[in-house]
Amino acid sequence: MGRYVIRRLLQAVLTLFFVLFLLHYLLSLAIQVNGNPARTFFGDKPVTAEQLAAVEAKFGTDDPCLDTIGDPCLGMFGKRMGDWLTLDFGTTFHGYSVTEQIAQAVPPTLILFAISTAVWVLIGITAGVLAAMKRGRFFDYLVRTGTTFTVAVPTFLLLVITQQLVGVSLGNWARSTFGRDSFLGIIFQPSYDHDHPFLSLLVPGILLGAFGIAGITRLSRTSMLENLRADFVRTAKAKGLRPRRVTVVHTLRNSLIPVITLIGFAMADALGGTVITEGIYSIPGMGGLAFSATRDNDLTMVIAIVAILSVSFMLVTLIIDLLYAVLDPRIRYE
Amino acid sequence: MSSDINERVEENIDEPAPQRAAGLWRDAIRDLRKRPTVIISLLVIIAVLAIGFFPSLFTGTNPKACDISLNKAPAAPGHPFGFSHEGCDYYAQTIYGAGPSIQLSLMVVVGTLIIGGLLGILAGFYGGWLDVVFSRAVDVFNSIPFLLGAILLLTMFRDLSIPFLSTRLQAIIPAVITLIIFGWTSTMRLVRASVIEARNLDYVQAARSLGASNRRLMFRHILPNAIAPVVSLIPLSIAGMISVEATLSFLGLGVRKPEITWGLMIDDATKWFVNGYPMLLLIPSAFLIATVLAFVLLGDALRDALDPKLR
Repeated sequence: MGRYVIRRLLQAVLTLFFVLFLLHYLLSLAIQVNGNPARTFFGDKPVTAEQLAAVEAKFGTDDPCLDTIGDPCLGMFGKRMGDWLTLDFGTTFHGYSVTEQIAQAVPPTLILFAISTAVWVLIGITAGVLAAMKRGRFFDYLVRTGTTFTVAVPTFLLLVITQQLVGVSLGNWARSTFGRDSFLGIIFQPSYDHDHPFLSLLVPGILLGAFGIAGITRLSRTSMLENLRADFVRTAKAKGLRPRRVTVVHTLRNSLIPVITLIGFAMADALGGTVITEGIYSIPGMGGLAFSATRDNDLTMVIAIVAILSVSFMLVTLIIDLLYAVLDPRIRYE
Repeated sequence: MSSDINERVEENIDEPAPQRAAGLWRDAIRDLRKRPTVIISLLVIIAVLAIGFFPSLFTGTNPKACDISLNKAPAAPGHPFGFSHEGCDYYAQTIYGAGPSIQLSLMVVVGTLIIGGLLGILAGFYGGWLDVVFSRAVDVFNSIPFLLGAILLLTMFRDLSIPFLSTRLQAIIPAVITLIIFGWTSTMRLVRASVIEARNLDYVQAARSLGASNRRLMFRHILPNAIAPVVSLIPLSIAGMISVEATLSFLGLGVRKPEITWGLMIDDATKWFVNGYPMLLLIPSAFLIATVLAFVLLGDALRDALDPKLR
């Protein structure tokens, strides 16, 4: 166990290093290919070399290695990693500190993720387990058809249509019937509301849960089915245990182990999904920042957010992997 | 170019069909033929491929010939879907909107199959440091969530234009390259796992003792037997890529204007949805969903047929 943990940790550190280097290299390459972003600061106005150099220094893009295409800019990499370690992610085009903007954006995103994780666990796993227990019946077909449709309908479409139908149409009705600040009026909103962060994030949070829910539901179903046929379940039944105990303690507990790994993958989907969800619902979270930064072509912001989200995703996968080894002692990656 | 891709995808599906590996494949085909969902999704897929590659067979109207005085006009004889907010014929736009998505997703899937498959075979067959390097590379690319990575890369190289390409290719190639870069890992992992499983089996040892070269072992003996799980993923990955393309176009990062795609049409139509013109959004959405659904259903059926364990 101890050796596995150390191996896994070392691996994670190595991967982290390469991910950060890849992001840095892409950013340098983008500047080398597209030209120095400091130039766009001036628009069409004529500019002297001193002015340009001053702006380049301000945005930290004054390194001469940025003039040769393909140069990995190792010196800049060291400097950037040092800055990132002290949580300094640079300055946006508009002159704000990236770190401050991101710090303000974390809470809405966390709430959003709490809601969608609840959706995965409460709806996804429950539906999958119930479908397995009612195999071949109506509910099973319903769940299977349902997961197929969630895969087939692109989530951005779901978001757009729900925003318009629930947020605008249903919301307008609720607000005119029950009043602006009624419970339903706040839930059915087409965009984020600063006074009621949790309630107005409920609908987009549930929709964000649609990313990856199909996989979780299906895996819960198949893994439950597999275990229902397993020898140890037959033994438990033969011993005369009560059916509920067989289902919950013997079958369900063992079936959920593989599902835990999939939650990590669902999170990867949902991290990309936050950009779309928060963009469409104009939620001032990290995805929303990335969304507007993409539209403004603000690379410093985009890369900082991608780096932070990737690192948090790596942390979650690491925790899940370690948890997996604890939960299922048979698993050992030599 | 486009028909070439089509052929390659077909070839990939048909390749192991001859008598050699008959058991699994013949059973699978017999199983698939009996399912109505498979027949229906195949018909939809054939129709969509035809629309995607030969749009002019389905409409004589030029989708870019627009008359602003007709903006959002209702359906008229010869214009069954009415007109877009810029006054273009919506039926022609919907038909021409299929092409970029379909061609892009086929190119991406062929690209991931070639790159992921090749690296997977090499890593699985040779093992050792080659395997370590490739597997670590997979870890690195998997640590950046797919959509996030695609958004980053496409933002960075948004203004890049590649020389010597037609406007159509110019519009889709950046997205194709990006999606291949972040998409090859799952194919690689699948191929690697099944090659590792197959490489020590008796028939491979037998071939080796007869003096077969490594290349022959990999491509003539192991590959045909290790390819089943990958094949069953092809329709599902095409579905996923069509969906991702629509998402990226909706963000303004996928296929670039002035090309028409369903994602761009949906983006334009969003603001008219509750303002009295829901059809502008619903028509391209329906085409998009039907296409993705057909590929998903075919993929699910194929996976069930090729992997009886999962049923």
